[in-house]
Amino acid sequence: MARSSTTSDVFNAVAEARRREVLDALIGGEKAVGAIVDDLSMTQPQVSKHLRVLSEVGLVSCRAEGRRRLYRLEPAHLRPLQDWMAKYEQALNERLDRMDDYLKELQEGEPQ
Amino acid sequence: MTPNRHGSAVVEFPSELAIVTTREFDAPLELVFDVLTKPEHVRNWFAPFSDQVTTCDIDLRVGGSYHIVFVTPDGKECSFRGTYSEVEPPTRTVATWLFEGWPDAEAVETTELRETDGVTTLTMTMVFRDEAGRAHMGKSDGQQSSFDHMEDYLKSLVEETVSA
Repeated sequence: MARSSTTSDVFNAVAEARRREVLDALIGGEKAVGAIVDDLSMTQPQVSKHLRVLSEVGLVSCRAEGRRRLYRLEPAHLRPLQDWMAKYEQALNERLDRMDDYLKELQEGEPQ
Repeated sequence: MTPNRHGSAVVEFPSELAIVTTREFDAPLELVFDVLTKPEHVRNWFAPFSDQVTTCDIDLRVGGSYHIVFVTPDGKECSFRGTYSEVEPPTRTVATWLFEGWPDAEAVETTELRETDGVTTLTMTMVFRDEAGRAHMGKSDGQQSSFDHMEDYLKSLVEETVSA
């Protein structure tokens, strides 16, 4: 049950710290699973499992080169995270801006 | 005379379960504290202008509770409640935070104020009880989500990778 939601969207995919490490390992460019294993203190099955989740939500893509499978980051799929952040910040900003306006009104109405 | 600070709130995600918001106001600390904690003030700014505050009860003492409800133009109720565990006027309150739409999203909210040269800095720290609660913060737009290190993550990943 938790498993299915884990793979359902980008938010859950990056909620797991180890998966973020896998993504970080790909920032520099395309890599084979073996190279990611070398970069991180994880076993190959662990890395493969995380790559599968990340692939399912589109955050990484994979291509074959001979016998190797190369993984690359698809940063455009981080868009939902960016959109959410922007929305959350906007809602908070709007509330605090209203408080700011109200404080100004109060201070103008009550000269000290 | 005073700068326009609209849109200047800084939102950070310092840990897996915390959201920290910082905002400056050109007003003395005592006034900012009153505006944050007295119902007659809170009902004037808490809800968006198009919404109606229908309940605003604040019992500002340790063990006291608050309950704020506003209604959107299409009739949707948004209800927030909590209980104070620390009240130190005019600089600090700590209270639980519960949005009734998300019963498992309980958080503890610490509100702190400090004043320097007539500018009061508000810091609100929300710490969710567990990841399920924090994940709810994104459900308002229908998405199941979790926001661990999101800001750092986006900075390091999106900026460096996309725009590089």
